[in-house]
Amino acid sequence: MLRVLVLLGLAAVMVNGDQYCCSAEDRHIVQDQWDHIWTDTESSQVRVTLGREILLALAKEYAEVNDLFKDVDIAHPEGGKFSAHALRIINAIDFNINLLDDPEALDAALDHLADQHKVRTGVKKVHFQKIGEILNNVLIHVLDNYNALAWKACFKGILGKISSKLQA
Amino acid sequence: MKVLVFVVALMAVALADEECDTLTRLKVKAQWIEAYSHGAARHAFAQAIWRAMFKLSPDSLDLFKRVHASKEADHPEFIAHANRVLAGLDISISLLDQPEALKAELEHLQDQHKERHIPDEYYENFGKALLHVLPAQLGRCWDKEAWSHCYDFIVHGIRGH
Repeated sequence: MLRVLVLLGLAAVMVNGDQYCCSAEDRHIVQDQWDHIWTDTESSQVRVTLGREILLALAKEYAEVNDLFKDVDIAHPEGGKFSAHALRIINAIDFNINLLDDPEALDAALDHLADQHKVRTGVKKVHFQKIGEILNNVLIHVLDNYNALAWKACFKGILGKISSKLQA
Repeated sequence: MKVLVFVVALMAVALADEECDTLTRLKVKAQWIEAYSHGAARHAFAQAIWRAMFKLSPDSLDLFKRVHASKEADHPEFIAHANRVLAGLDISISLLDQPEALKAELEHLQDQHKERHIPDEYYENFGKALLHVLPAQLGRCWDKEAWSHCYDFIVHGIRGH
């Protein structure tokens, strides 16, 4: 009996292993800080700008990304098509942050995003690593009390799962 | 100067789409941010809308079989889905005052819905569900007509007719 309990305990630790990397405290910090960007009525302008900056920074680092975003007209970043897409990306980030309290639903949401990216030939894991770095750089500039440790802890898992079904 | 202001005002009126006009859009945008909120509150908001929707259109549950829809709307897969839909609505509402980007987003949503052959009735009932839950979030400070007009405008864009 004791052995079973020990095994169950170990299994639980292993299952929950990655949660320690984005603790409840980390999640609350991330959610509170993100709220500052979100709650202003004119935040949609801010959001579009943030999304645009992130994607353009990625394209600057990896030229092939320009091709991946051709359909959303990355050649005209101020245009409607790319602006809407920039907001879509930022909303996905928002969406994930707001599901951090519900690991099962978050998992389902990330799985869906992984599927959506899997079918986009040419999308690579390194792109997501870079987005993590870019997000870090961007948020330092827009948040007063940016807590890099908490953000990195939570986004490592989020970006890792979104890119988990990619070949390269 | 006065003439210019007048001309700009006239143009704004002319550009407005029927009743979801410029000022109404700003109102809806502001009220949405309040209602959409965040974290656990957003969760409850999303769930309430879908529960109301499934009450109005029980048949629509079939459409969402793949994401484990149920009357209670509480399966993790469905919670993720419910939040995805609201995120799409969030994008559309947020862009109400950026016409070019709004057009692109509505076209994108139209593409996503085209294949699914969703009856008009479901769109109407989703609107009813939304308008039913919004005042619960916003209390007195909400404008049903404004919402009704702008919801119709967005759905028109998603349906393409």
